[in-house]
Amino acid sequence: MRKYLARRAIYAAVTLLGVSLSIFAILRVLPGDPLVAILGVEGHAQMKPADRERIMADLGFSDPLPIQYVHWLGDIAAGQLGKSFFRGDTVGELIRHRGPISAEIGVLALIVSWLVGLPVGILSAFKPNSMPDGIARALSVTFIAIPGFWLGMLIVLALLFWFGYKTPIVIVHFWDNPWQNLQIVVGPAVVLGLAQGAYIARMSRSCMLEVIGEDFVRTARAKGLREWLVVMRHALPNALLPVITISGVLLGFVLGGSVAVEQAFGVPGLGRALVTAVIERDIIVVQNLVLLYAVIFVGVNVLVDLSYAWLDPRIRYS
Amino acid sequence: MTDRNNVNRRAFLKRVGTVGAGAMAASRIHRPGEASAQDATVRPDPAAKRGGTLRYGVLSAAAHFDVHQSGTVANIGPQSPMYDTLIRRSPRDGQTIIPDLAQRWEIAPDGKKYTFHLRKGVKFHDGADLTADDVKATYDRICRPPKGVVIPRTPLFATVGDIVAVDPYTVEFRMTEARPKAYMLGAFASGWNIIVRKKTLDDNQGNLRQVMSYPGTGPFKHVSRQDKEVWIQERNPNYWNKPLPNVDRLEIYHLPAFSPELGSSFLSGKIDYARLLDPVSWRRAKEMPGVTAGVFNQSVIQAFWTNMAKNKALADPRVRRAIHLAMDRPALIDVVKDTAPMQIGGFVYPFHEMSTPRAELEKKLGYQKDIKPAVQEARRLMKEAGYPNGLKNLDFVVRDVATFKLWAVAIQAMLKEHLNIECNLRVVQVSVWFDEAAAGNFDLAISAIVSSLMDPSDIFSAWYGKDGPQNYSRWTNAPFHDLASQIERELDDNKRRPMVRKAEEMLEADPPLIPIAYEQIYDAWYNKVHGQNPSTYFGIYDVVRWDQVWLT
Repeated sequence: MRKYLARRAIYAAVTLLGVSLSIFAILRVLPGDPLVAILGVEGHAQMKPADRERIMADLGFSDPLPIQYVHWLGDIAAGQLGKSFFRGDTVGELIRHRGPISAEIGVLALIVSWLVGLPVGILSAFKPNSMPDGIARALSVTFIAIPGFWLGMLIVLALLFWFGYKTPIVIVHFWDNPWQNLQIVVGPAVVLGLAQGAYIARMSRSCMLEVIGEDFVRTARAKGLREWLVVMRHALPNALLPVITISGVLLGFVLGGSVAVEQAFGVPGLGRALVTAVIERDIIVVQNLVLLYAVIFVGVNVLVDLSYAWLDPRIRYS
Repeated sequence: MTDRNNVNRRAFLKRVGTVGAGAMAASRIHRPGEASAQDATVRPDPAAKRGGTLRYGVLSAAAHFDVHQSGTVANIGPQSPMYDTLIRRSPRDGQTIIPDLAQRWEIAPDGKKYTFHLRKGVKFHDGADLTADDVKATYDRICRPPKGVVIPRTPLFATVGDIVAVDPYTVEFRMTEARPKAYMLGAFASGWNIIVRKKTLDDNQGNLRQVMSYPGTGPFKHVSRQDKEVWIQERNPNYWNKPLPNVDRLEIYHLPAFSPELGSSFLSGKIDYARLLDPVSWRRAKEMPGVTAGVFNQSVIQAFWTNMAKNKALADPRVRRAIHLAMDRPALIDVVKDTAPMQIGGFVYPFHEMSTPRAELEKKLGYQKDIKPAVQEARRLMKEAGYPNGLKNLDFVVRDVATFKLWAVAIQAMLKEHLNIECNLRVVQVSVWFDEAAAGNFDLAISAIVSSLMDPSDIFSAWYGKDGPQNYSRWTNAPFHDLASQIERELDDNKRRPMVRKAEEMLEADPPLIPIAYEQIYDAWYNKVHGQNPSTYFGIYDVVRWDQVWLT
């Protein structure tokens, strides 16, 4: 187990190093001058070469690229994650303030996806090709196909025009005001959760269909167990493994989807901060947020791998 | 309300200006030796009530905090309530120049010296007294920015020579060359030119980009700020202009211009005043009871540039004139009617008193509703220039903004249909657009540019000047540049007017850019907000302080 963990940690570190190098390089070869956002159109047009040199030096962008990269790694090690080169806020502060909202949305979305996807998948599997199964499959495909930001916009508009309602426009943390906080996170979480729930429903349906044809399920039924016990105690645990695997992968969709969905709902979370930073060419914010998302994704997938042994005692990490 | 808002600047000036211009000029543009006969400083409405919180929605996620270095409402929107200027535009009409930190001023008869007399007893928010040294330090920086500091308004003060603090409450600006009074006073009254402490500038090596809260003398003081969310300010109890401000607290929410967030926040009552609403939300707001919806002119031209240095055909004035005439402007305005409000105009602000009046403009080729005669003339010009079969493969760089993307497609179709000019659209992010424009990597490029003043001399140098910072076409026209220089030096408005009209004609014949439209601003506010009616304002950068506003 320890060896396995050490090996996974090394793989994770190499992956993250690769991500950091990629995002660092990509952001530096992208066209577009960040000084447009800093100085504005008029100021940029008046900027002299000497001004540019001075401003780039102030921002730390006149150093050779390897030095810039090492400085960034140093910032990460110090826990500061660098400074937004516009207003001087540290990315650490940005994450501390906005991270909880995005994390809530992500966790709630996962919960919604399981709460919706799993029962629908089980129901479909136990009544295959029935009307409920048909409806469930149609809905799954619909929610997979509908872009989250579009659904988000529809919900925002419907709430506004039918009820004159709009969610709070600034971040309210759960510990400050749970009710207002829920108003902010519920919409994006449901939209993201329904899309992921559709994948989980399809995956759990096919896994359950496979499992319920196995001998041990037939045996359980032959013993006279009630159907729900057959499902919950025998079929479901064996069908869960692929569903958990896909949940780890789906987290990537949640993280990616949150960027657009936060924008649609006007939630000032990390996803929205990332969009703004990309538009502003705020390189430091973009590279740190992308790395943070990569850390979360890699971390969750390691946890998913580790959970296999807990769910299936036959699996050994050796 | 909207009918009143449709009063344009020309009509407004005719009504108000002709009646009171003489008296105003006498009382507000002071002559040497004259003391201020009448203090026109902002006073509260007699009915004004104290107290309350104003929730204001405006684009306010600035890239930095240095108002002088900025050119965006993202700075001036949230920061200007904390600062004052030497003189200002009256919030009553957005036009008249009135005292601010300078209680009175004098202009030498030859126009080469401006003397400002500062109020006594004005304190910065950190308790320091305002003195002439602070004004001198502020304007030294604006007129001659240190290395690494770029201030878009610097060219307005190109003829300011020495700035002298004569005594602690008197500042003299000695000009190397006279400029029209309206131009110079407009420059001093610009909302961008806030007065900051000399010590603040010294402590930060003249660069305030990353200094979030530096002391001002304004009616509101910084309380807290959450980036891209809200900036909270409280009433300055020691404000020099007592009993202003009227409201106790300002909550300035970051809500991007023309965005659904801004519209929905206003329509749902989350904010009291919305600036830069999208047309759909604005029209809905206009129908709401208890809400006022206003429209006013913005200091922005929407245009596309033709790269004369790269493309030989576009260097020919006849080809550019043909492209200019091939534009169906009423249709272009209609194309974006749900995205941003626009109005037709030529090469000078269509609402400026010296530009071609709208009725006359709309009779000219290129601005008519029936575009057939203009297209006929355009085809003739293309033939005469040697391009009867049009042009192929023009690289059309489009800034990634909703209006430009909509227009680019329409313009592409108009050019193809009217002149057989084929272009390939290339949509790019804003910073890439300016890189490409500056490097000359385009044939056609669409965007918008702003001016600090409505005065034609400002745009003649910034937009059309030989080395103008926004002359992306690399356009030169020696007779025009000579005329623009004369206009800049001419102090008599009566003589300037025909010169400006002549300049317009020259620009029509040899276009440095192709004007599409002039932007307007949609604001809306709940009727509990009093003391603010922007219908005659010019732009969103001068009257932005909220000191006279009151709530019920």
